[in-house]
Amino acid sequence: MDTGGDETHESASGGIEVKTKFPVARIKRIMQADEDVGKVAQVTPVAVAKALELFMVSLITRSAGEARTRNSKRVLPGHLKAAVMGDEQFDFLNEIVSKVQDAPVAGQKGLGLEGEEEPEGKKKRGRRKKAESPEF
Amino acid sequence: MSDREFGGADDLSLPKATVQKIIQEILAADGDASVAFSKESRDLLIECCVEFVTLISSEANEIAEKEAKKTIACEHVTAALQTLGYPDYVPEIDKVAREHKQQQASREKKQTKMEKSGLTEEQLIAQQQELFNQANDKFAHVAAD
Repeated sequence: MDTGGDETHESASGGIEVKTKFPVARIKRIMQADEDVGKVAQVTPVAVAKALELFMVSLITRSAGEARTRNSKRVLPGHLKAAVMGDEQFDFLNEIVSKVQDAPVAGQKGLGLEGEEEPEGKKKRGRRKKAESPEF
Repeated sequence: MSDREFGGADDLSLPKATVQKIIQEILAADGDASVAFSKESRDLLIECCVEFVTLISSEANEIAEKEAKKTIACEHVTAALQTLGYPDYVPEIDKVAREHKQQQASREKKQTKMEKSGLTEEQLIAQQQELFNQANDKFAHVAAD
């Protein structure tokens, strides 16, 4: 697994092997939701599922990277957005992420707390709000 | 199934549990299993995935149409990936497609063998039963000793 630091350069999955598989039938359904799409060969959804797997490896590792740069242990929508913005391959996702708030600038240390850029009301853990830690 | 028209999210989404598992696998392999995806991020990711599938399908469909083909084949998918800027995915997809075709071939071979025997399914089952009976007899004989 130690195939070097460049995640997407050596093989498309950077040596990461994903064991869990997508349901092929579901992929086929998504494909055929497009009215223009007619018949699909039996192997085709299998191929698309594989492409999707590689895509996920790429997007997830990059998003995690963005989180790490910001010293966050949780990958937030803003990190995904940053990952999308950072690569041409993900241009088609620009609209989807546009509704997401930007994550703070990378490399900022000592903002300390997790995930404060999420829109209000979404936090279920609300530790901060309850003001439990007196040193805050 | 009839609410599909407006892309009603549920049916055309990916199963959350599966996606969650995959996220974990990838993060662990990436070297940091302590990092987690927030729920919102996971849902956003799922949206991105569906968009990706749609993108590939649409492009593959166009390519197939240009070749006057009515069925989207694997080759159209790989061509679409090339066009859309994912040429690095193609080798692994070719591999998966090859393996799938091999499996198909051996499945069909078994099917053909059954058909070629010239017997109906009932006759084949009867034959099988006969073989079982013979085997049982043999066994009974030995056990009786």
